Amino acid sequence: MSEVQRKVVFPNRALPYLLLGPQLAVTLVFFLWPSAQAVLMAFQQQDAFGLSVKFSGIDNFVNILADPGYYDTLVRTLVFSASVTLLALLPALALAVAADSLLRARAAYTTALMVPYAIAPAIAGVLWLFMFSPSIGTVAFLLRSAGLAWNPTLNGNDAMFLVILASAWKQIAYNFLFFLAGLQSIPRSLLEAASIDGAGTWLRFRTIVFPLLSPTTFFLLVVGLVYAFFDTFGVIHAVTSGGPAKATEILVYKVYYDGIVALDLGNSAAQSVLLMLLVIGLTTVQFRFVERRVHYA
Amino acid sequence: MFSRRRLMGVFAAFVAAASNTVAVAQTEIQMWIGLTANLGELITRFADDFNKSQNEYKVVVAYKGQYPEQRAASVAAFRAGNPPHIMQMFDAGSGDMVQARGAVVPVSEVFKRAGIAFNPADFIAPARGYYGLPNGDLLSMPFNVSTTVLFYNKDVFRKAGLNPDQPPRTWPQLIEASSKIRSSNASACGFTTTWLAWIMLEQFSSRHNLPIATKANGRGGLDTELTVNNASNQRMVQTLVDLQKDKRFDYGGRSNDAAAKFISGECAMLTQSSGGLGAIARDAKFEFGTAQLPYWPDVQGTPYATTIGGASLWVYNAPKRTDQEFRGVALFLNHLRSDKVMSEWAKATGFLPATNSAFKAMSDEGFFKKNPGRDVPILSLIESAKGEHTNGYRFGRWTEIRDVYHEEVERALQGNQTPQQALANFERRGNTMLRAFEKTVN
Repeated sequence: MSEVQRKVVFPNRALPYLLLGPQLAVTLVFFLWPSAQAVLMAFQQQDAFGLSVKFSGIDNFVNILADPGYYDTLVRTLVFSASVTLLALLPALALAVAADSLLRARAAYTTALMVPYAIAPAIAGVLWLFMFSPSIGTVAFLLRSAGLAWNPTLNGNDAMFLVILASAWKQIAYNFLFFLAGLQSIPRSLLEAASIDGAGTWLRFRTIVFPLLSPTTFFLLVVGLVYAFFDTFGVIHAVTSGGPAKATEILVYKVYYDGIVALDLGNSAAQSVLLMLLVIGLTTVQFRFVERRVHYA
Repeated sequence: MFSRRRLMGVFAAFVAAASNTVAVAQTEIQMWIGLTANLGELITRFADDFNKSQNEYKVVVAYKGQYPEQRAASVAAFRAGNPPHIMQMFDAGSGDMVQARGAVVPVSEVFKRAGIAFNPADFIAPARGYYGLPNGDLLSMPFNVSTTVLFYNKDVFRKAGLNPDQPPRTWPQLIEASSKIRSSNASACGFTTTWLAWIMLEQFSSRHNLPIATKANGRGGLDTELTVNNASNQRMVQTLVDLQKDKRFDYGGRSNDAAAKFISGECAMLTQSSGGLGAIARDAKFEFGTAQLPYWPDVQGTPYATTIGGASLWVYNAPKRTDQEFRGVALFLNHLRSDKVMSEWAKATGFLPATNSAFKAMSDEGFFKKNPGRDVPILSLIESAKGEHTNGYRFGRWTEIRDVYHEEVERALQGNQTPQQALANFERRGNTMLRAFEKTVN
């Protein structure tokens, strides 16, 4: 095997690098360079305009970790991310199983269920904002008619519920698509054999379908968590701007707020470094402990 | 996320590079604004008029997001060496801009360099106090000037048995009116407010001649400290908390959001920027009136004048900027401050004319007689008593400190802390930010 591989060598030494070039350049300019800047800024104290820049050692990190507000945000982020990830996974799995068992019009249902993914986060946010807006929203009107004191502009739990729902709704489409593809790659013969052996729908799902879906589920878990940590920014910005009273401010929103609104660049950069470490840590944990239970066919 | 600031800088550089190649014959002047819809369109039209009136310069107006976002974009552009020539910046951001020496050129100096006569005394006094230097020079040019007024729904007033031509003048009167409105169920909520910190802290303090902070509200030095945890402020917040319980007051969110509660008819009264008039006049399906911001009559000497809000125009400096460009900036600003533009702006929007002569021109042609209520904000600024603390303030990081006020008062409205705790927390957190700002500047 290895001998065969060794023979496959590009005759032109420069070509592979040339082909890789554009991708590397994009990564360098749009990811590595700004990340390096953020790490550098995390150790500096500077005014917004960059007129005075001072090296400040680990002051920024000390300030962040000494702020009780930061830990509130951290806990809030974990609750938010776990809820969004779960709420986006379970309905998506149910919908995928349902769509997979359809005999007719499967394409139409699949397309309809995919649409939310094509909607920009900010638009999705505004959509939910309007439906649940206390003074003009249709759903808010129904909730109030049902006797619920719905007010996300003042009640932090209402606001949190709203952003979780809006964020999860958007991600369901994505998860659905992957689950459906995963379901369709499960060999029919296996399921038929199980049926012949007398296994019912639930037993087949639990013992064959779900284990065979585990690589997909694991992949979606990792992607979903990263989505909840970073890409939900648009939804939160549009729906609550992190309020009321910081009730919906997650870590990535705090980085934005402290850097862009408050123009405290050093502090914001240090937070982004901490956030990056946190997500790297979480992903590592997932790969070490959760992946053990994943069954790759 | 890591790339956001950098991206903006790169983007600004691209835009600037692209526009430089186009403007061969004409010198291009970039102006960034933070207003949209009819307001933004009108400013763009003023620029078009200016462009047609001469062929040396071309002013390009661009919307870069709400004020804080626009400011962040301009800061990134400045760091990349290519800020806009003119930037519209809201009142709360002034304290940060003042400290950005080298990043901005005072407008008085811009006019002086261009050899155009410019007398800061032409602008209305409160604006001068807000955007001026101790020597009388103006740092930025006041443009959209507003103050807080009370809008009220005359139809609901009638339904509740209140006199629609007698709006409440004081807080006790407003509370009484609100109680009647709720007990007769004339509307679902008595009153609400936009811009919580601007109105219930900043305008409130001016109206009662109370200091917000030491060192002449921050004008006397960066080592200023907030001093708002006192009986007067506690009573104001306590009033909101108490009235919130039975919807005599209903909190409607930060910034401008609560205006929808008034326009939809849900709330009968609204404290709001006079610049919000346009939207109310367009969308409200009822007869409304305008009155001055209420005050507490038992505070000595009240009512004092309200103070201004809105935004002013700042001129950015940059290493490669030429005298020719600064001359174009001066010419365009000169166009904007003309009576013709100022009064058209004020008439169409509900903002105030920023110059004395534009105000006089509007009075002379009988605008205020024909449009009763439109002089309310102006009278609120100039008719009432002036005091030591009615000239506005100057704090760094005030945008953020305002949000701290929002958060703490929101927690009090949720019932999670007392007004006293809210104000104490606001002072403590706000002072931490003022100290941090002091450190970055020195």
